[in-house]
Amino acid sequence: MAGSNEVNLNESKMVVPLNTWVLISNFKLAYNLLRRPDGTFNRHLAEFLDRKVPANAKPVDGVFSFDVVLDRSTGLYIRIYRLAHGEEPQLNIADLEKPVTAEVVPVIVFFHGGSFAHSSANSAIYDALCRRLVGICKAVVVSVNYRRAPENRYPCAYDDGWAALKWVSSRSWLQSKDSKVHIYLAGDSSGGNIVHHVAFRAVESDIEVLGNILLNPMFGGLERTESETRLDGKYFVTTRDRDWYWRAYLPEGEDRDHPACNPFGPKGKSLEGIKFPKSLVVVASLDLIQDWQLAYAKGLEKAGQVVKLLYLEQATVGFYLLPNNNHFYTVMDEINNFVCSDC
Amino acid sequence: MSPYESATSAGSSSGSSSAYSSTKPADIDGLLAGAGYKVRSSDLRHVAQRLERLETAMVNSPVELSQLASSDTVHYNPSDIGSWVDSLLSEFNHTPSLPSDLPDLPGIVVGPGISPTVINEADATWMDHDAPQQQQQSAQSLGIPPNQLTVVTAMEEDSGIRLVHLLMTCAESVQRGEFSLAGSLIDDMQSLLRRVNTTCGIGKVAGYFIDALSRRIFTPQASGLFGGSGSASAYENELLYHHFYEACPYLKFAHFTANQAILEAFDGHDCVHVIDFNLMHGLQWPALIQALALRPGGPPLLRLTGIGPPSPDGRDSLREIGLRLAELARSVNVRFAFRGVAAQRLEDVKPWMLQVNSKEAVAVNSILQLHRLLGSDPNRSPPIEIVLGWIRQLNPKIMTVIEHEANHNQPGFMDRFTESLYYYSTMFDSLEACTLQPEKALAEIYIQREICNVVSCEGSARLERHEPLAKWRSRLGQAGFRPLHLGSNAFKQASMLLTLFSAEGYCVEENEGCLTLGWHSRPLISASAWQAVPDANSPLGIVNHHHNNHNAL
Repeated sequence: MAGSNEVNLNESKMVVPLNTWVLISNFKLAYNLLRRPDGTFNRHLAEFLDRKVPANAKPVDGVFSFDVVLDRSTGLYIRIYRLAHGEEPQLNIADLEKPVTAEVVPVIVFFHGGSFAHSSANSAIYDALCRRLVGICKAVVVSVNYRRAPENRYPCAYDDGWAALKWVSSRSWLQSKDSKVHIYLAGDSSGGNIVHHVAFRAVESDIEVLGNILLNPMFGGLERTESETRLDGKYFVTTRDRDWYWRAYLPEGEDRDHPACNPFGPKGKSLEGIKFPKSLVVVASLDLIQDWQLAYAKGLEKAGQVVKLLYLEQATVGFYLLPNNNHFYTVMDEINNFVCSDC
Repeated sequence: MSPYESATSAGSSSGSSSAYSSTKPADIDGLLAGAGYKVRSSDLRHVAQRLERLETAMVNSPVELSQLASSDTVHYNPSDIGSWVDSLLSEFNHTPSLPSDLPDLPGIVVGPGISPTVINEADATWMDHDAPQQQQQSAQSLGIPPNQLTVVTAMEEDSGIRLVHLLMTCAESVQRGEFSLAGSLIDDMQSLLRRVNTTCGIGKVAGYFIDALSRRIFTPQASGLFGGSGSASAYENELLYHHFYEACPYLKFAHFTANQAILEAFDGHDCVHVIDFNLMHGLQWPALIQALALRPGGPPLLRLTGIGPPSPDGRDSLREIGLRLAELARSVNVRFAFRGVAAQRLEDVKPWMLQVNSKEAVAVNSILQLHRLLGSDPNRSPPIEIVLGWIRQLNPKIMTVIEHEANHNQPGFMDRFTESLYYYSTMFDSLEACTLQPEKALAEIYIQREICNVVSCEGSARLERHEPLAKWRSRLGQAGFRPLHLGSNAFKQASMLLTLFSAEGYCVEENEGCLTLGWHSRPLISASAWQAVPDANSPLGIVNHHHNNHNAL
């Protein structure tokens, strides 16, 4: 039937496993309740609904975690995930920041997704994802609890990312045998966007970022692209909600060609000739903003930067949240190779 | 039981490596559990259908959607996707303009109620969580100019780490019985303390733990000082408690959340009876009295029974508090009766002392009291079972339980020591934000006494046997109670209370129907509400009351 009020959810159900469909649909509906038409956000309800988990210094499946507050006034904290070594059932507080022992240990600074407004470093879905990353890449993962929109607009998320990057690069206990911290930036959705902008800020500094990993990164622009029209509302996401999140994050009065949203757009800064990290860009073919993500990868390429594009057929947003599909494993493998290429 | 065993649940892989334990009931989808949601694999399809239906309803009724999104709708237990979706669907059912093709919905009633699917499960235990030492802020609070900051931080960090190392080594030697080694470590730590800032941060917390260890090693017989009966006077305890109440929001949160739940439970009842397991200065009750006074339809007759230790000096402090509350009640036209029950220990209280009558709605209020009943004497039945038993027989409308969100009752000393070091470091850190004196100083003494009890006392003297929410859920479930979920309005109001009264950094979280208050991402105190499961043996499903209670009336 083709009524305008008819909601056709059949397409999304055919391409994801049932539990993934339930998970992402649940988010979708909850988020619909949280976004108010006037641009405000029901933060109390959001925090009530968000499933959170505490840090856990006792290893679970070989991984333990602990939180460090970086800035009390803004609530900026990071959650650090590490591999437990040996058979210690009991971790000492002093063990938390014990120096890493392998020859080369990748340190992945991770920015969770949520379109700049949702989720936290202690959200269960992201805690689980970070733990999986540690296990697969044998890395240290540092998840950043950045400030969210609309209460905190651009550039707060980038400022917090930058603060975390500085902290990580100055930890002696995170240094590999060459006395350097091997840093990679990673993030999904808005986190992917943050990766780009923090890496850009790092270029001018003496902090070296070895690589960027962008999972379904959140980019956009004023123009309405073909994929946005074609896929609007079909796979959990609508252009209306994308527009709402940009309005919530960008400074008041700015449009989607603002460089935060559209780094290769008319107001973007050129990346030509600068020492930008190599990038791994993962794009899901059923993500309605893929045209922007593909344009981003192209933009990097044109500026002479090293980029690997991973285009996943029949993948939707959030495919990486549950390890129940091939795309998850493909991407984890790629990320592993990406951060271990110099191990 | 090894809490970290990987369990495979029917029909789904348990590839979850999250901090959620995998010891969950069979058939719960393991991957969704790792994401914080409880859905049976066998229910997935049904839940998916409900989600579809909800989406259709939301799309078709945008006006109702905005009402649904407003503050009037109360949400309960988001972990249970099925019942959350159903409760929203029933909200749509209540609104007049429904599309005619919406099928009949089952008669799910929206709260203040009980999620029908969450009963008596031996739940996944919430694993121990630990917060790190926050060594950075000790330098920051020294007010050192930024360019010198990194140098001092490095020094502080080194000494801080050394202190922690020594503390752990000392605790380990205590556990092993190597007391001479432990003693010399105490000396080392005390000299290290002289080189570290002890007014805040790791230095301050370490000082208290060194003191507690030192008492355990050198003067165990005097540890009774921080143990139960006859120790510090009741007057001192009340004073310290009151200042702890003022200095930080933990007790305010406890009172506020419990009162909200009690108010809701008393809805529609004309005779209500609150039993307070630890009256102290009765700080919790003015707010409830005032809220009852403003109740639409008028206030009920309120009885308050306050339990507290006997006053040694002939004062009847319970009665004094009761009189003050009675005056307040009179001033707002609430019919009020107070009864004080003096008991040194909660397990000495017998239900007949409470004089509950069958016509009143009863609320049992326990703020940081139940854990004190966990000490066990092999010669007697466990006090916790006795007390929970008679509470159940009272069949209260609600039992509000506030407890420390901490695991300080493990059998191994090292485990308790480590846990409490993390826990109290976080609590002290949160207290740094307080500027009120002498509230802050006295609050610190209050906390210090808890630390001493956890670390230096054993046996019946060790009263501070904190257990985390997951353990309480299991314990209360087994004792015949089921959870009453605290909803999003309590959550919202608690969050707003925090912004009014406290510094940045406190956070309220929802945890399967319970609320926790913590500092940054570490929950420190939990609030939950409970009701007795009806006794299956009784013909009317009514719990049999102890004959002592009712023959007295």
